[in-house]
Amino acid sequence: MITNTLARRRSVQPAIPGVVTLLLRYIGLMVVDAFALWLIFSLINDGIWELAIAIGLITLLVNIINLSLPLKPLRWISPAFALLALGVIYPIVYTVYVAFTNYGDGHLLTKAQVVQLLERRTFVPETGVRYRWEAFINEAGEYALWLTAPDGSAFFVIGQGELQPVSGEIPETYQGFRRATRAERTRLLAAAANQQFGPEGNRLSVTRDFAAALVPRFRYDSATDSVTDMQTGAVFTADDEIGFFVDRAAFEAARAQNPEARARDFVMKIEGFPAGVGYRTVIGFANFERFFNSPALRGPLLSIFAWTVAFAFFSVASTFALGLLVALLMQGKFAGRRVFRTLLIVPYAIPALISVVTWRGMFQPQFGIFSQIFPGLPNVFADGTLTRIAILIVNLWLGYPYFMLVCSGALAAIPADLYEAAQVDGASRFQAFRFITLPLLLVSVGPLLVSSFTFNFNNYTLIAAFNEGNPVIADSPIPAGQTDILISYTYRIAFSGQGRADFGLAATISIIIFLIVGTVTVMQMGLTRRWEEVSRNV
Amino acid sequence: MRNKFTTFLLIAAFAFSALGVLNVRAQDATLLIWADDTRAPILEALAAKFKEEFGVNVKVQQVGFGDIRSQVKTASPAGEGPDIFVGAHDWIGELSKDGLLEPLDLGDLAKKFTEASLNGFTYEGVLYGMPYAVENVAFVYNPEIVKEVPKDFDEVRKLSEELIKSGVVKYGFVRQSGDPYHFFPIQTAFGGYVFGYEEGVGYNAKDLGIDSEGSIAALKWFEGMVKAGLQPAGVDYDVMHTLFTNREAAMIITGPWALGDRLRPSGVPYAIAPIPGGGRPFVGVQGFMINAFSKNKELAKTFLFDFIASEDIEVTAKGKDGVERKGIPMVLFGFDRPSAFLPALEKLEDPDLIAFAQAGVNGLAMPAIPEMASVWQAWGNAIEAVANQQVSAEEAFKTAAEQIRNLLK
Repeated sequence: MITNTLARRRSVQPAIPGVVTLLLRYIGLMVVDAFALWLIFSLINDGIWELAIAIGLITLLVNIINLSLPLKPLRWISPAFALLALGVIYPIVYTVYVAFTNYGDGHLLTKAQVVQLLERRTFVPETGVRYRWEAFINEAGEYALWLTAPDGSAFFVIGQGELQPVSGEIPETYQGFRRATRAERTRLLAAAANQQFGPEGNRLSVTRDFAAALVPRFRYDSATDSVTDMQTGAVFTADDEIGFFVDRAAFEAARAQNPEARARDFVMKIEGFPAGVGYRTVIGFANFERFFNSPALRGPLLSIFAWTVAFAFFSVASTFALGLLVALLMQGKFAGRRVFRTLLIVPYAIPALISVVTWRGMFQPQFGIFSQIFPGLPNVFADGTLTRIAILIVNLWLGYPYFMLVCSGALAAIPADLYEAAQVDGASRFQAFRFITLPLLLVSVGPLLVSSFTFNFNNYTLIAAFNEGNPVIADSPIPAGQTDILISYTYRIAFSGQGRADFGLAATISIIIFLIVGTVTVMQMGLTRRWEEVSRNV
Repeated sequence: MRNKFTTFLLIAAFAFSALGVLNVRAQDATLLIWADDTRAPILEALAAKFKEEFGVNVKVQQVGFGDIRSQVKTASPAGEGPDIFVGAHDWIGELSKDGLLEPLDLGDLAKKFTEASLNGFTYEGVLYGMPYAVENVAFVYNPEIVKEVPKDFDEVRKLSEELIKSGVVKYGFVRQSGDPYHFFPIQTAFGGYVFGYEEGVGYNAKDLGIDSEGSIAALKWFEGMVKAGLQPAGVDYDVMHTLFTNREAAMIITGPWALGDRLRPSGVPYAIAPIPGGGRPFVGVQGFMINAFSKNKELAKTFLFDFIASEDIEVTAKGKDGVERKGIPMVLFGFDRPSAFLPALEKLEDPDLIAFAQAGVNGLAMPAIPEMASVWQAWGNAIEAVANQQVSAEEAFKTAAEQIRNLLK
């Protein structure tokens, strides 16, 4: 009877997905595609090509996975693939790309965006007239203008009709139009900034200050990749090597006289671009060259690297040691064990940033609790060594509950008969710990030690929130702090130290940091493998 | 296979039609303004009035003052930026370098603004913002403890020593650490400077004065204060004002932002005087800037020039402090700082703000040149290194000047 039911159930299950399932899947895919396409188009609109291409490729992949039969098993994991590509792989690729560009202040916009800004600029040619204008409106909501030229002559123009000469005071009503109110006048400017009046050939544009036949100030020629200033006739050619529009003629002339002349000194400068019309461009290995050649950058790098390694190492060592100790203590049976355990997890439950800022307050030399308890305590933040010790204490507080939890679990998994056997063999408690607990513990906790090391290597939050890398290194060639780790130093260089955002250089440095961390991780993987061998021999 | 292809076509067709629907955006012109939490409530009230008088919608988004600059840089090129945003004049060097600011022409309206405020927003002869308020630090002291304002900083030290010896206070004069902005007036009192300033031309980035004689003399004075134990360590904004309002310190250098925040609520008597020894504070100007990527530039100009700078429109607005005020827009913007708009400045009644304005008469506009950004950290680090007694004053400023020259190379 029972087997019968089972068999029937199995036969009911369709081999091909039902119409509803299929429909739902296609509708779902349509929604995803529509959203992706909308995103892609608005990104292209904004000139962000890289992300548009990435999203396009990811969407295509998701579609292929969901529509192709052989790849069907992958379809439930495809959202994860999509997020992985977008959230992890794309930023990495983009960072590498940025490292080869001059992206940063002065070169923030893409060439297309700069051209777009330039092409929107207008000017009144010398022959043109700037009219003062007064808006009129009729019942239908159509606008007319009463124009007064600087020489006193006046015209009335309805929409895109002819300019009719008029004279005298501006009347309240004229030809079925009445004077527009302030709101209507403002709405005229709001409807479209380039509201056009007058006949073709003498089309006037209205701005807040005047109405005049406006001419585009700059014309971009994509064939020669150059911008012509229509007002002065000057031509500026895009120089993709430095990311500026450059007066090539003047530059060539100067170079004929002096071969040392640099294109940089002939960049196009206009109102609104006081430092030259610059754009984002690929500059090859220039950022890497700058990083390795500049003594200013190399200066404190060695000591910062040493401290970064020491900080990460001691943080992991201390949190692991304390976490393991507490976990061992917690194995015993005593009253209030649960309460203790809960309390011990508290540092882990409070957001790290809040803890760090609280610790910072406690170390404050005037009103901090430590200086209240120990009146002779020197100002911790004034001394590099003391600050480093304080940072390690704070990180110990933040980090030990994690290892306590992990070790508790791992300790429970060690078979009790191993200890019994050890006892029979006459091993001391320390020997049991040394030769049974620790090796077996490291098998499961080892990889976590590696990841904790990597995490602390880049623990920007702690350094930034606790003391911003201070106290300063007094004799460094560029601003740097004694407790700066590589990542906070990168931040200084990229966003504040240089005084301007230099994303290209920052990306370069983060690639170098990645190489360092990667090397360290690979080396530690080797260690982990050794621990695994230990476990196999047990 | 053909089936799959048809499905794909169907999906693509549907996707494109959805795209069409989504892309039809209402073509209503709405001005978008970014402002900090102090200006946003005022602008909200003004937006309602603007809608009433000028018939155009204004949307105000609150963004932290410090975040506006970086957000403008990321959002504007993507077309998501505001039409108008509130900011400080020393941003214009950086933002104009990026091509993000619309050059402005105030025309006749320019006469209604203080010259210093317009100078602040001018970079290489082009105006990039319409100022609404100025701010500068002044010498703030407790008149119950300090009977006579010290004439220069040597007297400040003498007075500090006397006051501490007599046990009236724990400290005499206390300096706020963390940024060299509060140190600059002391530096100028000794004849020091940061960048050479030429009237009518502006700052000369080639003339760095961090290691000038006067600057070093000022830092030596401070070093003396530290070594004599007259300066507590690690004094930030909060600690300095707590010391002052607890009557543990008698003299500080602070700005008008401390009035509503610290000085008035504390009930401790305070008086405001110009910086001793003729020290020149940095004058910061706050104003409105127009995004170069804005699609409503003419409207934005109408909002700023014809409405915000109008003298015949009165608005009632509730400020961040909960107090309701009535007046022309510029008066509302100048409630916690001296106004940059002359008709509003003339209406100023608050004696504290008048005192701050007087302390700023000889002030120097904070340099807006991009080179200034390379100065702050090295300069500040040098002062902190002396405060921590890591190095001597002379060495500290010489190193800082070298660091800055390295950065500017």
